[in-house]
Amino acid sequence: MALIRFDTFDPFSNLLSLQQELERFARNPAFNLGPSGYGAYPPINVFEDHDGTVIIAELPGLDPSKIQIAGQGRTLTLRGERKREEGLNPSGYHRRERPFGEFSRSIQLSSEIDMSKATAKYEAGVLMLKVPKAETAKPRQIMVDAA
Amino acid sequence: MAMMPEQEIVTKEKQQVQGTEATRPGRYYVPDVDICEYPDKLMLWADMPGVSEKNVEVMLKDNNLTLTGTVSPGPYNNLSPLYTEYNVGNYFRQFALNEDVANPGFKRNA
Repeated sequence: MALIRFDTFDPFSNLLSLQQELERFARNPAFNLGPSGYGAYPPINVFEDHDGTVIIAELPGLDPSKIQIAGQGRTLTLRGERKREEGLNPSGYHRRERPFGEFSRSIQLSSEIDMSKATAKYEAGVLMLKVPKAETAKPRQIMVDAA
Repeated sequence: MAMMPEQEIVTKEKQQVQGTEATRPGRYYVPDVDICEYPDKLMLWADMPGVSEKNVEVMLKDNNLTLTGTVSPGPYNNLSPLYTEYNVGNYFRQFALNEDVANPGFKRNA
């Protein structure tokens, strides 16, 4: 299991290591997300930590209270809407590049998830979702009885 | 049958900054912006996910407006990637302003 670990205090070399690791797993064909794959909004990165799955999504400009997250079995769904700022009424636009609208994306994870222990944090336009594996999906160790 | 949303948001692939090479290695991305015009001002909104307010730099020199956003790789420490759709990097964008603009101020909005 490749682990991203920052051993130095130099933020530039840490960022470069992170970029190289993310590049290695770009659209990893061995990981099947189900029907809502690459190209759906929001773009996501999927990681593993010692508890389960961590999903990081770039969702700039959203009200975090309006992000809906639901999960059942192995499927996780993100829904929401990004609205243009109200009351601005400009006389014209020089550039209009930021995307707005509704989104709904369901992804399939590799094992059953326990939504009762899931946590979500939204900071600086990035959603970090930690979803532990369900107890039934965790590996179990069994003792061998001597004959 | 589920109702389709009126307007569905579309994913745009991040574009890397071209033409300017930083001395430090690593990718820089072009943030999406809206620039609105008002009788007395221009207002610029930039999407720089992963950049906290204190790491946004706005500079105006010789009518060139430069935006720089520095991301923190900290949240990714001790995670093991399985599948990725986007990369993470700092943001950089520069505009030549036609109008005489004095004292740019900025306010961050997620």
